[in-house]
Amino acid sequence: MSDVVVGLLVTVLGLVGLFMASGARDDEIYIFGLSLAGFAVLFVFGLIRGHFDRLDAARLDAARRGEP
Amino acid sequence: MSAAATGVAASPVVYNEAVVRKFVIATMFWAIVAFLVGVVIATELCWPNVSFGLSFLNFGRLRPVHTSAAIFAFGGNALFATSLYVVQRTCRARLFGGDALANFLFWGYNFFIVMAALSYVLGYSRSQEYAEPEWHVTAFLVIVWVLYALVFVGTLLKRQEPHIYVANWFYLAFILTVAVLVLGNNAEVPVSFYQAKSYSLYSGVQSAMIQWWYGHNAVGFFLTAAFLGMMYYFIPKQANRPIYSYRLSIVHFWTLIFLYMWAGPHHLHWTSLPDWTQTLGMAFSVMLWMPSWGGMINGLMTLSGAWDKLRTDPALRFSVTAVGFYGMSTFEGPVMSVREVNALSHYTDWTIGHVHSGALGWVAFVSFGAIYYLVPNLWKRSGVYSTKLIAWHYWIATLGIVLYITSMWVAGIMQGLMWRAYDQFGFLQYSFIESVAAVHPYYVIRLAGGLLFLTGGLLMVYNLIMTVRSSSTEQVTAAVPSGIAVAEA
Repeated sequence: MSDVVVGLLVTVLGLVGLFMASGARDDEIYIFGLSLAGFAVLFVFGLIRGHFDRLDAARLDAARRGEP
Repeated sequence: MSAAATGVAASPVVYNEAVVRKFVIATMFWAIVAFLVGVVIATELCWPNVSFGLSFLNFGRLRPVHTSAAIFAFGGNALFATSLYVVQRTCRARLFGGDALANFLFWGYNFFIVMAALSYVLGYSRSQEYAEPEWHVTAFLVIVWVLYALVFVGTLLKRQEPHIYVANWFYLAFILTVAVLVLGNNAEVPVSFYQAKSYSLYSGVQSAMIQWWYGHNAVGFFLTAAFLGMMYYFIPKQANRPIYSYRLSIVHFWTLIFLYMWAGPHHLHWTSLPDWTQTLGMAFSVMLWMPSWGGMINGLMTLSGAWDKLRTDPALRFSVTAVGFYGMSTFEGPVMSVREVNALSHYTDWTIGHVHSGALGWVAFVSFGAIYYLVPNLWKRSGVYSTKLIAWHYWIATLGIVLYITSMWVAGIMQGLMWRAYDQFGFLQYSFIESVAAVHPYYVIRLAGGLLFLTGGLLMVYNLIMTVRSSSTEQVTAAVPSGIAVAEA
């Protein structure tokens, strides 16, 4: 649940960053906007990776204990 | 309510240590960055051509990089690390909000730091000390900070201990007050959603007063109250003794929190700020001496019956020396806030020396002590790789601080005296450039002090890496879940 809520929040931040970069009138906002979007993409990828890592770990754990 | 209170057997708590480990690594990374940039700008003050004519290396742009790296990056990450560690253990509860939120705190806060530093070297700044980031960077920080408050308060609310340990009071005051300060001082209207510049809601002397209400309370709550939270947890842990007086710690907390709020105007003596406001700031600054020293005595006396540990545990020596520096700089601060003393000290390097006795002697040393304690615990090692290296770090860093602050005292008092000297005809005796030339040797001594402090930091990083990696600090497997172990300790 926490992953979904935080993931959505960061996605919104990333979109805000893209909007800022798209209309930027100075270098600072352009760099910040693109960086924010990049940060959001990497963070959400991290959440997805963490989710599947946990599933894999649970599967391995179950296999080690001999469960189907 | 709690397991302890109801007599029900405590359930094991698995703490979120992964996020604390990340903050510890970031603390050490930013420590080296802060010390290194400090050395670079100290070099530029000795030999200005060292900036090589490059705009992004000039003093004006690198100075906020240094201060922000030291305070918000090094200090901030140390506070995140220790507060999230302490609140879990003293509440016997895992962090509220889940791992994703804790991870966002780490990556979000460090993203803010990188963006702020990048904007400074690009030449974007609000030009207000310790509040340099433009509106969009600050807005992002506010989001991270609100979530930090949510995690911290949420963890306090779901605690399994009936009592909220005093260290958490200090951390909570820091979190809440910094939020109020940042929102208050950054009340501004951006020129556009697509532009970095903004207009402040304040102007003239009101702007200056709000800035120093913010600035001094950044010192009071970020660099003092929060690190006192660190002191109240880690010194008793390192010394294996209870706090000397828990009652005194509560008195310390409330008096400090009440008095600090009013001290800001002492930064604006002899300006167009009304006299009564300046006097108010001075009076509260002098009163602050008492709670500060009460806290120092409480920290030092915690070692009653355990003073011998200072001979064998150099990490504890860091923490205790930090408390000594806390006492020294909280004595010097009130003295400098007296209007007549300030007439001499303001705008001189005495202020720089004062700031660094607090930043290096108090903030950095108490953080070093805590991190030397934390790393073996977080990475499940038997101890720090080399106690001898900690001792070397301690003495090199202490010598560095002594060189730094004594040279700045001499340079500052000399500058103040030269600027106010009149000849027999009533003309200024010295031109400004003569005072600049006169302090050059002391700037070189300050650079030497900074280099020593940086060297000590590098030794610490090596020692900590070896602590995690070396086979000589073999892994210790916990016999019981950590929650129970702490509850029984």
